[in-house]
Order: sequence, then structure tokens, then C-alpha cells
Amino acid sequence: MPFKIYKKYVMLLAFTAPALIFYAIFLLIPTISGMYYSFTDWNGLNPNYSFIGLGNFVESLKEDPDFLNSLWFTLKYVFVMIVLQNVLALALAVLIESRTRTKGFFRTIFFMPNMISTIISAFMWTFVFSSVLPQIAEKTAIAFLGQSWLGDPKVSFFAIIIVSLWNGVGYMMIIYLAALQGVPQSLKEAAIIDGANAFQTLRSVTMPMITHAITICFFLTLNGAFKVYEVVYGLTGGGPGRSTQVITMNIYEEAFSNNFRYGYASAKSVILFAIVLIFTLIQLRVMKKREVEA
Amino acid sequence: MRLKKANSLLITLILCVGAVVSFFPIYMAVINSFKTQGEMFASFTALPTKLHFENYSQAFHQTHLLNSALNSTIISFIGIGGIVICSALAGYKLSRTQGKLSSAIFFLFVASMLVPFHSIMIPLTRMAKDLSVQGSTYGLALIYIGLGVNMAIFLYHGFVKSIPRELEESAQMDGCNEFQTFFRIIFPLLLPITVTIAILDFLWIWNDFLLPLLMLTDVNHYTLILSTNMLFGEYNKEWSLILAALVLTSIPVILIYAFFQKFIMEGIAEGAVKG
Repeated sequence: MPFKIYKKYVMLLAFTAPALIFYAIFLLIPTISGMYYSFTDWNGLNPNYSFIGLGNFVESLKEDPDFLNSLWFTLKYVFVMIVLQNVLALALAVLIESRTRTKGFFRTIFFMPNMISTIISAFMWTFVFSSVLPQIAEKTAIAFLGQSWLGDPKVSFFAIIIVSLWNGVGYMMIIYLAALQGVPQSLKEAAIIDGANAFQTLRSVTMPMITHAITICFFLTLNGAFKVYEVVYGLTGGGPGRSTQVITMNIYEEAFSNNFRYGYASAKSVILFAIVLIFTLIQLRVMKKREVEA
Repeated sequence: MRLKKANSLLITLILCVGAVVSFFPIYMAVINSFKTQGEMFASFTALPTKLHFENYSQAFHQTHLLNSALNSTIISFIGIGGIVICSALAGYKLSRTQGKLSSAIFFLFVASMLVPFHSIMIPLTRMAKDLSVQGSTYGLALIYIGLGVNMAIFLYHGFVKSIPRELEESAQMDGCNEFQTFFRIIFPLLLPITVTIAILDFLWIWNDFLLPLLMLTDVNHYTLILSTNMLFGEYNKEWSLILAALVLTSIPVILIYAFFQKFIMEGIAEGAVKG
């Protein structure tokens, strides 16, 4: 009997070892050492560095307006993305689902942008914003199109949102479509026989049946939006000035291009991790309660 | 009845407008990539009068397209292969073993899915330097294995529950050891979820930007995305050339999409349900 227990552990470790080794080296140890660096004044090169306690955290949250601005900008972005991406994806999914004959065609069209790398999408849109739209504005006298899409921070926030949505909505739409296909047709028919209109059926029958998908899509959008980098890098590079800088860009700049303050940048990344964790846990807790079993 | 028809027409109209907007940047990139700069300034929206393939040949050479596409392929192939084998082994065993150690390891993997890449990029760069995997195509592939196993293990772990235990028991009665049982019986049965994982990881690795940017220093090792990014920086605003490069870079994924559309859609839905 003791031998059998022993064998069980050996086998468990033998099967998990390959994954554990890669995981430990490239994910677990970096996570832990990043947390450690965040309490030091290490510059990434000097072998001598000292432990400075919470100094980096205090500095980043109290004396670093650039960091706070990037944090605020990111939070605004996350909020707008969670709302718009899900509303748009769900709306598209519901509309596509209702058209049996053209379902495949529209699904393909709306998902295609998702295949294109985020950074490539940002470059394509830079062309549209900086060249195509101003020219169309000139020729058609629709002044709205000619505005400084990437030069004015207020407008470029929306440019960033537009490209993010263009790139990301298709993915969420697929998840919503899959969930919608799982809603029993009989329930919808029953609601219509009872006199519900299309909107009422959607709100009272379909939505509760797909809460699971809503939870997942909120989770994915929340997690993805906090990590936004490529879209902003490709469109505005964080500018003009630092007006559209997102938190990930601020961390990158601090560690690799500005001051090589590894310890300080690590503290900022721990803050990012903590924020993502807190928001995710709250979101999952709130939404899990609302889920119903089919 | 008439109302229903009007509704249906309205829905089609909305979807068509959405489709046009959705397709607009791609369409603009494609038609303008065949124009000269002068033709573009005359009109971006007009169709090209003559197809200028010079942009393409120039972009093809400037991005070292074949070489960087090969690098991207090697990285994706090794990365996905490693993720699949390591995670299938681990996910299967963790799912079949009861006990504290097993739950603890599984929890460790799953919990790490919440760690944002940007939170580890600094120490990860450091680690890569110390292990001298920085700057190498193969080294980058190994990092993708480390970053990708957690999600794959999670998906395998869930999927294994749907495979009846009797299959393994009978294989072991017939004299297979645990690894033989796994590779001969279990692994083939995991195929549907393996396809899902391979597709999701392919999209991630092939399209990734920041990790290659941090890890690769030599232009000869650049991935396709990285080469295009460099071109964008160098030839800023030379749109005819840039657009050709953007179109060229996107062709492989669009082709893959065309061939594997059904699997990609199912993969995303499956990944979300299990995730």
C-alpha cells in the first residue's frame, strides 16, 4: 500500500514535469522575482542594489503624474471597452442569428479583422485616419471626418476605441453566437405565443439563458483591455505628449527606454497585476450570482 | 406579416452597413497598395488604374519576407508542439489524480492565467538573458511554451473528464504502461481539444508583437510582425510600400482562416466554454 501511494506521486510528477519546468522558468519565477524587484532600487545592470521597502509603490502612486495619467486613461479605456465591445458583439450575434440564410457570410465578414494582428490593424487604421478620411472630408465636405483623429487626445481616445472594437468584437461575437445556439427554440416560441415581442423575448428569455457567455466575454474584455498596448503603440505611440499613454506603455518606457529603472517599473507592474486581479475577482463574483442553469 | 418583412429588411441593412465598415480598412489597404503615391493623393477611394506590383516586390525584399515568415513558422510550430505535448500530459494526469498535491499544482497553473504579460516582461527579459535564450528563434519558442501551458492544461483538464476511465484500465490490463496508455489511447482521443488549443495558440504566437520585440535583437531572427513593424518605422508615410507590406503580412492568416474557418469558430467557442 505505501508503495502504491509513492508510485502515484512519482507518476503525477513524471507527467507534469515537462510543463512545470517551462512554466516555472518562464512564468512562475519571473512573477515572483518581479515582485521581489519591486521592493528594490535595481536598475537592471548594477549587481549592487538595495531593498527599499514600499518606496517604489509610494512614489508611483504619489509622485508620478505620468503613471497616474496612464492609469486613469487605461481605466477609462477598460470601462468603455467592456460596455461597447459586449453590446456590439451581442447585438451583432443576435442580428446574425436571426438571418438563417446569410448567417455564415456575416459571421465570416465580422470575424475577419480578428485574424489580423493587432499591430497590423493599428497600422492599417493609421492610414485610414491620417490619409483616407481627411481626403474624403475634403471631397465631400463632411468636416467631421477630417478632424485630427490621431493628433487630438480627445479624438484619439475614440480612434483607439474604434480600432480595438474593430479588432476584438468578432471574437466575442463568436462566443455569443455559440451561446445563442444553445438557447432552446421552444422557449423563444413559447414566449412569442404568450405575446412577448422580439425585444421582450430577448430580455426575458434569451439574456438569462446566455449569462454564462456574458460572464466570459466580460472577463475576456476586462483582462484584455487592461493589457492594451499594440493598438495604442501603432496609432498614436502614446502621444501627443503622453496624453494617450496606457499603463503597459508607461511600464515599458520606465524599464526599457527611459531610465532603466527595473525596480521601479516592477513595482508598477505589480500594481497593474493587483488591479487586474481585484477587478476580475469582483466581476466574477458579481456575475456568477446572476447565472442560471438551463 | 408586412411588419415582419420590414424588420427583416432593416436587419439585413444594418448588417450590410456593418459589413462595409468592417471591411473598409482592408479594402482601402488592398486597393491603395497597387497605386503610386501620386495616384493615392489624387484619390484614395478610386480603384487603381493600373496594378503596380512594384510596391509588393519592394516590400517583399525590404521585410525579408521569406526569412521572417520562416522564423514565424518555426516559432509557432515548436511553441504549439511543446504546449500541446507538455499540457496534454499534465492536464490528463492532473485530471485523473485525486489529492492535495494534484490540486495544488493545478491551482498554480490556473491562478497564473491572471498574471498580465506586462507584469512579468521585465524579469522575463532578465531570465532570458541569464539563460542565453534571448535573441534566438528557438529560445523564443521555448518561452511561448512556458507562457502557454497554463491555459492549455486548463482546457485538457476539463476535456479529460469526458473520456471514460475503462479505456485506460483495459489498456493497462493488456500490458501498457502509463506512458504507452497515454500516447496510444488517450492522446488520440484528445484530438478535438488539441485542435482548439493549436488554433488559439497559433493566432496568439503568430500575431504576437511585444514578446518578439523584447527577445529578438538580430533582424535575421525577426518574425513577420516584427519585420513589418520595423518597415513602418523606417518608411513612415510611404504608404504604397507600407500597405503592400501590411497586406503581405496578413495573407498567411487570412489563408489559414479560409481553410480552417469551421475549426477556428468552434475552437473559440469551445475555449470560452471551458475557460
